[in-house]
This record gives sequence, C-alpha cells and structure tokens, in this order.
Amino acid sequence: MQILLYILKRIIQTIPLLIIVSLISFFIIRLSPVDPLAELRLNPSVSKETLQKETERLGLDKPIIVQYGKWAKSFIKGDLGVTSNGERVSTKLKERIPNTLLLTVVVIFLSWIVGIPLGILAAVNWKTPFDRILTVLTSIGMAIPSFFFAVLLLIFAVKTGWFPVGGLTSSNFLEMSFPQKFWDITHHLILPVTVLFTISLAGLQRQMRANLLDVLDGDYVKFARAKGLSETKVIFKHALRNAVNPLITLLGFEFAGLLSGAALTEYVFQYPGLGRLILEAVLKSDINLVMASLMMGAIMLIAGNLIADILLIITDPRIRGGQA
Amino acid sequence: MYVIIVLVLVLAFCRACIRADVPEEQKPILRYKIEDESTSYQTEKNVTINGVDYLESQLPNGKFGGTFVTSTIGEGPKTFNPFNAKDNISSAMSEIMYDGLVTTDPETGETIPKLAKSFTVNGCEYLINLRKGLKWSDGKPITADDVVFTWQNIIFDGYGNTSTRDSVVIEGKLPTVEKIDDYTVKFVTPKPFAPFLRMLSSPIAPKHIFQTAVNRGKEYFDGFLSTNTEPKEFVTSGAFRLKEYVPAQRVVFEKNPNYYVINKNGEKLPYLDKLVYLIVGDINNQVLKFEGGELDEISLQGSNVARFKEMEKHSDFRVYNIGPDTGTMYIAMNMNNRTDENGKFYVNPVKQRWFQDKNFRQAVDYALDRKNMVFNIANGLAEPLFTPETLNSIFLNKNLPAYGKDIKKSEELLKKSGFRRDKAGHLVDKYGNHVEFDLYTNAGNTEREAIGVMVKQDLEDLGMKVNFKPIEFNSLVNKLMATLDWDMVIMGFTGSPLEPNGGKNVWLSDGTLHIFNQRLEKDLSSKRYPFENRIDYLYNQGALATKFEDRKKFYDEYQEIVYDEKPLIYIYSPIRIVALRNKFKNIYPTSLGGVTHNLEEIYIEDK
Amino acid sequence: MIKDLIKQLMQDKFARIALIVLILIYTALLFADFIAPYTIDFSDRTMAYVPPSKIFTIDENGKFSKPYTYNYKREFDDTDLKIVYTLDRSQKHYVKFFAKGQPYKFLGLIPMKRHLITTDNDGRLFLLGADINGRDVFSRLLFGGRISMTIGFLALFVLFPIGLLYGGIAGYLGGKTDIIMMRFAEAVMCIPSFYLLIILASILPSGMTSVQRFLLIVIILALIGWAGFARVVRGMVLSIKNQEYVQAAKSIGASRLRIIVKHILPQTTSFVIVAMTLSVPSYILSESGLSFLGLGIQQPDASWGNMLKEAQEYTNIIYRPWLLTPGFLIFVAVLAFNLIGDTIRDVLDPKSKVR
Repeated sequence: MQILLYILKRIIQTIPLLIIVSLISFFIIRLSPVDPLAELRLNPSVSKETLQKETERLGLDKPIIVQYGKWAKSFIKGDLGVTSNGERVSTKLKERIPNTLLLTVVVIFLSWIVGIPLGILAAVNWKTPFDRILTVLTSIGMAIPSFFFAVLLLIFAVKTGWFPVGGLTSSNFLEMSFPQKFWDITHHLILPVTVLFTISLAGLQRQMRANLLDVLDGDYVKFARAKGLSETKVIFKHALRNAVNPLITLLGFEFAGLLSGAALTEYVFQYPGLGRLILEAVLKSDINLVMASLMMGAIMLIAGNLIADILLIITDPRIRGGQA
Repeated sequence: MYVIIVLVLVLAFCRACIRADVPEEQKPILRYKIEDESTSYQTEKNVTINGVDYLESQLPNGKFGGTFVTSTIGEGPKTFNPFNAKDNISSAMSEIMYDGLVTTDPETGETIPKLAKSFTVNGCEYLINLRKGLKWSDGKPITADDVVFTWQNIIFDGYGNTSTRDSVVIEGKLPTVEKIDDYTVKFVTPKPFAPFLRMLSSPIAPKHIFQTAVNRGKEYFDGFLSTNTEPKEFVTSGAFRLKEYVPAQRVVFEKNPNYYVINKNGEKLPYLDKLVYLIVGDINNQVLKFEGGELDEISLQGSNVARFKEMEKHSDFRVYNIGPDTGTMYIAMNMNNRTDENGKFYVNPVKQRWFQDKNFRQAVDYALDRKNMVFNIANGLAEPLFTPETLNSIFLNKNLPAYGKDIKKSEELLKKSGFRRDKAGHLVDKYGNHVEFDLYTNAGNTEREAIGVMVKQDLEDLGMKVNFKPIEFNSLVNKLMATLDWDMVIMGFTGSPLEPNGGKNVWLSDGTLHIFNQRLEKDLSSKRYPFENRIDYLYNQGALATKFEDRKKFYDEYQEIVYDEKPLIYIYSPIRIVALRNKFKNIYPTSLGGVTHNLEEIYIEDK
Repeated sequence: MIKDLIKQLMQDKFARIALIVLILIYTALLFADFIAPYTIDFSDRTMAYVPPSKIFTIDENGKFSKPYTYNYKREFDDTDLKIVYTLDRSQKHYVKFFAKGQPYKFLGLIPMKRHLITTDNDGRLFLLGADINGRDVFSRLLFGGRISMTIGFLALFVLFPIGLLYGGIAGYLGGKTDIIMMRFAEAVMCIPSFYLLIILASILPSGMTSVQRFLLIVIILALIGWAGFARVVRGMVLSIKNQEYVQAAKSIGASRLRIIVKHILPQTTSFVIVAMTLSVPSYILSESGLSFLGLGIQQPDASWGNMLKEAQEYTNIIYRPWLLTPGFLIFVAVLAFNLIGDTIRDVLDPKSKVR
C-alpha cells in the first residue's frame, strides 16, 4: 500500500516536469528559422496552392503559443498528430520502435554480461597491471568517434564480404524460413552492435569498478576481512550484494535509453531505428515527430527512475523506511 | 628502455628523410576494350492479338525470372498514391505501378503512346484511342471510364497534390475531358497549349478502387493508399505492383501478370519477377552496398567514377557514360528592390545598386573559373554551363558560346559601371562604398561548400570582399523564400530536358521559385525589370505554341536573355555515369532515359 | 596541491605519456602560424587533392643533396575518367627552414614572415597532401586544432560556474526553491542531449562571423552539460551544509551567497577537477559529431571535426588516406585526456563514481 502511494506521488510529480520539457522543446524548435516545407518550396513542380494548403495543415500560419496549445491538447487526448509528410506520427514511431528495442536490448545485454565481470575483476585487482590495461583499453573504446568507427567497420564489411552493408534485413527476407530469418537479422546486427557495445562497455566497466571499490572500502567489508573470511567469500558474499544498489539505478538509466536510439551509428549503418528517424525529423524541424519522440524519451527516463526506485525499495528495506 | 624507443624513432625519422629521386617507371597502361553496342534502341510497337491491343517488344527475347535491385537515396516514399506524391521518390514509385496514357521516347524525346493505342492532336483537341482488352492487375478491364474519372474527378477536381491541375490551367480555365465511347476519350484545352500533351503521361487510376476514396472527400484522399496500406490492395496498370514495403529499408515490387507488353513469342513481360528499391541514406552507403553486391545498379559521381572504372576490368559490372545530367548548379544575386511591411529594404540599397547592375553580374560571371571547378569538385566529370536549359535538353540553344575565366573583361565591365580599386586593392563603387557581401549555400553539401570557397577566391581576385557562409538547408530556404535577406547564393535545380515549361515557377516573374527576385504575396504586382517582362512573354508564348520549331524560337530567346542578363549564373552540369551488373541484358542506355528506361524488357542471363 | 598532482601524474606511465602528448599538441597549436608552411586560407586550386609532397635527399644522380621536392601536375584521363597525378620533374623546389613565406602575425601580435619549414614561392610543400580546394592539410590541422582543442575547455568554463552556483543554491536553500530548480534541471536533462545539441545548433542565426559561431557553439555545449553537473553539486552540498563549520558561519551571520561561495563550494574542488578532465574529451567528440552533420564549425574555417567530414567519403578513405589525419588526432587527444583524467581521479578521489 505504501509503495502504491509512493508510486502515485511520483507520477503526480512528473506532470510539471513533462510540461516544462514540452514547453522548452516546442519553443526552441518553433523559434528556429528552419522551415519544415523547405524541400517542397525548392521543388519547381510544386504549386503555390499546394504550399498554401500544407502551411495551413501544419498550422504554420498561427502564433507559436496557439500551435503549442493545439499540440498539447491533442497530445493529452493521445493523438500525436501527423508528420510534415502527412503520415501519422504514431504509425511512424510504431514502425521503428521494435527495431530500436532489438538493437538496444542486445547491446545492453551484451555489455552487462561482459562489463560487470570485467568491472569486478578490475576492482579486485585494483592498481595491478591488469587493472591499468583494462582502463587504457576502455579509454581507447571511449576515444574513437562513434561515427568514424562505424564507417571503418562498414568498409571492413565491404572489403571482406563477411557482413552485409547496413540495414536490418536482406531484400528476400519475406521468402526466408524462420531460422534463415533469425540468422539474417543476427548477421545484420553484428556491426552496429559492435560499435555501440564498445562504447557502453567502457562506461559500464568503469562504473562497476568504482562501485565495488567504494564498497570494498566500507567498514563491514573490512570487518569481514578481519574475521578472516577468504577474499572470494568477502567479495561475493558481502561486497557484491552492496554494490547492487547503484547498478539498479544504472539499470533505470539504461531503461530510459532504450528508445532514445543512437542517431549517428544508426545513420551510418542505415539502421531503420528511432535514432535516425528523430535525427532526420530534428534536421527538418518536423515538429510533431520531434515532440512525440522527445516526450517519449522524457517519459521513459522518468519511468526508468521510478522503476529503479521501486526496485531499490524492494531490495533494500533501509530506504523504504527513510523515503516513503 | 626509453633510450631505445627514442633511438628507434630517430632512426626511423632519418630513414624517412633519405629518399632517392628515382623516376617511377611508366607502367604500361592497359586499355580495357568495350564492345560497342552500336545498335540503337527499338521502340515497342503496337500489335493486336485476339482483339487485345498489345505493345510488342522489338528487342531479342530473353529469359523469365530474377530480381533487379536498385536504390533510392533519402527517406523512401511518403505515399504510394500517385496523385498525392509531392517528392521525386514517391512519384517514381507510383510511376512504376501506374502507367499514363502517353510516355516519352527515350531516344528522341518525342511523346509516344503508352496506355493509349494512339492519339491525334488537332489544335485544342486531343483524341485518345485506348487499347482494347487491357486489364488492371486484378483482372478488371481498363476503359475510358477510368481515364475520364482520373482526369475529371481526381485531377481537375483538385484531389491530392494539385500541381498537375495547376499547370494545365490556361488563362484561368481548365481543359475538359469527355468519353466518346468505351475506348475513346477527347480532351479539349481552352487554347492551344503545347505542354498539355506531355501532361497526359500522368498516371491513370482504376476507377473501381479510387471511387470510394474520392467520395469520402479530400481529407480522406490525402491518406488514401499511404505507405501503410496493405500491398494487396494496390490495383495497378504498370509493369510491376507493390509486394512489400519495409520502412527505411526497401520497397519490393513484383511482376504484374496482366501487363500489356509482350515479346516476339507473345509472352507477357516483364521478364523480371521482382524489382527492389533499397532505401539508403546517402551516396556513401549506396556505393558500399553496390560493392558489397547488394545493389545491381548505381549512379556514380566524382571520384567514385574513376574507382569503378578501374574495378570494371575485373568485376561483373559495366560503367555507362550517359552524358550530361539534368542537374544544374548556379549562383544567384538578390535583385530584389522592394521593402518589407516596415518599409525596410530586403536588400541594402547600396548592395542593390551592384546586384541590379548588369555589368556587375557579368563581371562576376567572367571571374568564375569554371574549368577548375569542374576539375576539382566534379573530378572532371561535368560540363561548364551557361544557360538554364541543361546540355541534354532538346530545347538547348546551341548558339551561345562557352568562355573561360577572363579577369580583364571583368575589370573592364566593372570600370564601365564606375567601380574602381582603392589603395589597398579593395573594390569600391562609384559612391565610394566597399564592395562586400555575403555568399550563402547549404552547409553539409561538400560540393557546394567547395564551390563557395572557389567563388570567394575568384571574386576576391576582383577586389570584392566575400563572406562565405554555409548555413543549414532549411534556414537557407527560409531566407530565400520568406525573409529575403540574402546577397548571393549558390544553389542547384533539377531541370527537365524535354519541357522548359516545367521551369515556369523559376522564370515567370510571379513564380514561387523566382529566386533572384522573389515576390512575396504582397509584391506580386510590383514593377518588373524589362528582361523579366520579356521572359514572361516568351514563356507564355512558348507554352501556347504547338509546333516544336515555333516553341524553340521562344525558348531560344529566353536562353539568350539569361545568358546576357545573368540573373542566374550557371556553373556546371554534371555528367551522369551509371554502373550496372553485366548479367542484365537488353540494356540500351540513352541520354534521356538513362540505363533502365525499358525495365520490362530487361532480363537476366544465367551464366 | 597542484604540484602534488603533477608529481603523481608523472609517476604513472600512461599518464606521463599522455601528458607529454598533450603538451606537444598544445605547443604546436600555439605556434601554429610559425610551424605551418601556409596560412589557413591559402589555396592553390590547381593542386586539389594532391598527395603528400615527396621530399628527396638523394638526387637523380644518386648523390646527396639538400632536401627538395617536386610539384604535382594533374591530367584528366578521359578513357578511365580519372585524374592522374604525376611529379613535375622539370623543376626542383628546395625545402627551406626558417625562410620567408606567407605573412602572418606571430601569436596574433608580431607580424612575421618566417616559417619553420617552407619552400620557394612556386613550389608547394604539402606535408600531408591537400584537400578538395587545394589547401594544405597539415597547416589546416594546426589551425583547426586550435578550435577543436579549446572548444571543450571554454564550454567547461562557461558551464561549471553555472552548474556550481545553480546546484549550490538549490542544495543550500532546499525546500520549494530546491524542488522548482531541480525540476527545471531535470527537464533539461530529460531531452536527449544529442538531439538538444542538434536543435540548438540548427537555430544558430546565420550570417555570423566565425568567432561568433565558435562562441555560440561553446555556449550550446555548455547549455547541455550544466544540468547534470548541477544535480551532482546539489547532492554534495546537501551533505556538506550540515557540517559544523557551515553551521558556524551561519551563526556568525554570513550572507547565504557568501556561505555558498566561500564555504560550501570549495569543498567540491576535487570533484570539479575530476569532472572537468573527464568531460573535455566528450566535448571534443561532440564538436566532431556536430561538424559531421554540418552544424558545427563551417567552411572555410577549419576544425578537426569538419576536416574529418570530408574524409567520410569512401573513396577518400581509400585514395586519399591523408584526409583521415584529423580523425587520428581526435582519437589521440581524447585518449590522452581520458588517461590523465583517470589518473587524476585515482589520485584525488579514488572512490568517485564519475565516469
């Protein structure tokens, strides 16, 4: 019951946050000199009447505050509006969400099962050459501009012919049997996953290392050591259990990042994900699409934090007493 | 340890410093022989078998089956409804599925029958005879009802994108369309109007499918046959019909079993089972996909051409040089002399005096080093351009000579208008103002940015001060179309090689793309420059004349005016190069149609 | 403390190398005018895309000679449709050190003509080849580096005071002010930073001088970073404000701002230093990402990001690998910053959770 009340309170708290986010983004976008109809205007075969019709349809002839009001009203009703091409924003997002989810889930899964153990190993072997080398390697992973890494991998794919050049499925995907389909998607995913994995692995490994170092410094660990427990036992029985809390918070953040997409990587690999969609929408100032995706990002972030907090309450009774 | 590393580095440096000057031996250049297919393309002919009016392919018979994979750059189609298409990709996709009454001969550029069996033009009257026995992909017959419905109820009544309708309005009146019998339709234009015949290439819609959408109103029609529609619901007349659309990835078309083109054995074409358009984001990815074997055809530009040419010798594709493309690149100066609502000039009056001075514009033109622009930026694969009609246009005025950079001539022209150099070498006008202005282009376009850098240098040779400012594309368009506060810009258009009237939005003085002197709604009746009036006249007359020779006279003069007045200074037109896999046969590239204009006749030869 | 820090840094092998690399880079950038053979906008359009100049020390007769180079000449081969570059062996151009070349202002003050390395006026010494406009890549790397390597620092100098003050005030005052201020900061954080970056960059008014554009990009980068930073500062302040000496300052009636600035914020110094060194590289990467999309520093100005953009083209990577050098430099600089940042963190704040 207490937890439910807490959740309710948190949800109510998010409403002003969402209003601020939408106001900031809406005004920045609309105040920009970018014209969503630019492409049409420069097309010699598009007539004046068509342009006029488009302007009215998108409400570009009205003051910004009216536009915002219109947008907010339909947003509350659950209507995300249409893109500047006249397609429904909701269907547009629906097309891309599964693809982005697939990519991010795979990346998160891989980087957690590799990053967490590496973080533990580094912390346990703190200040040894092993730790130093790992740090340098992760630094290297963080130092390559992601788009550049992606371009190099694509060239690698062409030169060796081992991997398909971007995209998510082959052109004869429809006719494939299930195992073939599965392999086809896996095959296409390998390169983009490699890029994103390299980046997120570095961060995760460092985070885990820092967390564990923090815990290993704690009194109860010192106490456990003093009791004469073996180092393995100290780490797995006492330290790790306490290093879990920050990880739960981190999991919340990862959840938030599920749908924000990796624009540059998706762009270079021509991956049909949300990141590329939003990037193109932002560049074109396609307001409904941008707003919908920004709001989605904000809601995911809030939800992620909320889930993390709830998990913390469940796993750690101390917090329950203090916060709720 | 460190000593060793440093030592190694120093030694490596010394080794690198010592290099002998030995001329490389000239490698014998292997010239790759291209067997020349001198036979030109044979247009399909009408034949009637069992009361059905087919088109018969005149090319060698081929094998059935296989897939052709090509690509489109950008976000992919936005609709599959041919009447809603506003962008090139959507129109291209719908043109694959829906044939028009007429089409263009890829060799000569003449208008030839397509869905129509034949047509006769008599002044304002266009009599169209349809083919008998043709069927839509769902088996229903194609009749005059479909044609009348398409033109009257969709186009003339203003459904979807009204651009087609707007461009056939002649002096405020629409043409009429009338069914004579099941297979004959008559169009009547209010006045003789030459571009109308080519407009008849607009797709024809199946009445039994579109009728309900039209009944439900324009708003419903805008979303009709969108990209979310089930592929099964498409009923088409073209060689292919939609099979699958995967957003941001590809569009797959399959063969239309009822298509009306047959080969000499009487078998129904197309040969290919499937046609796939991959949706790719940029040229880089396209090139990579071709090399990775995922694409069968690609248009090449710049330095890629040389590489493909080199690879051609030991690869399974051929590189075709199709000649000048329809793309153009130009510099425009803002010749606007009006004020905005607050009485403020869009263009600073000091600068107005320069940009409205013909000598100044010509001086800029003569200062441009087109040769090196072609060399550096287009890798030699472009032709300098001096007229608004592209080099492959059938209306090109060939009497206008090309010229190179001529600083002396520029300086003479400037002197005529009272410009002079001050002590520091800056150009000043006769009132003592320093000549300094902004040059814009869209940021992120490497080609235009590089041209901008060169133009800036060329003009600085004359003592002008040019602030080169690449800005974001959308902001740039806003400047050009709405706020009008710009001085000079580098932009490009895609022209039509067949119909100059397509450029009327650019050249008519009240056009929506009259870029060098854009008139906003409130300025539509403002004063014209004499040459603008003349071009207005020529454009209108050119459209009303019907014989090619008569029209050419009008369009020749308009090109002469642009050549002389330089409202737009054209820079170059790229050459179109296409690479295509060798396994495809019946390939007859033409300058107007490209490589795959006869898609239904192309087949795959097995090895 | 600083001395201590440097000593500790020099003890670590990786950090020492990184520090030396960074010092080398920054020195080169400082004296860019002198080191570069050409000015930033010098171009020879007949030399577009020429490969790096070949420097010879043994002449055609097999004898040692002063180092010299040849110019390239190019021809269009219309059967192969490509441009062929060959050495123009008709004239030798000797490489000269400390000789006169393009005029410039040394450190922006003293007019000078001498360059570290140059060649005679007709010769072209392009140590790392030329770009599409026939500009010397080596020279532009030096000038572009000035922008790329300082933009991150400048952004930090803008955002840290904002973040410190904002977080400090929110944390110290608490209550409703804290809630409102933090909600606003969270709202800014909710917008994915990369998209916020693009949105902000695309609304930059056109028609700015390159300096203005540079400064605005700095401000944009700062606008994105401050919120997260302010939140961490607030957390730290919350725990500091109840310490005894703060209470003591309060009781003697120091003003609130004074308490925040004088007593609380200094406690966060080590965190600030660690966060700063660790966020410089991310700003360098952000700038290159922006330039990749054409929203960063614009032509004809140079930055490593916009120079790398030219190298994105597949053919350029294969045929003109010298265009990749900015990417390599970004990599080296970011790596060096990361290594130093790691070491500093281990020294100052071994338990820090800053990534």
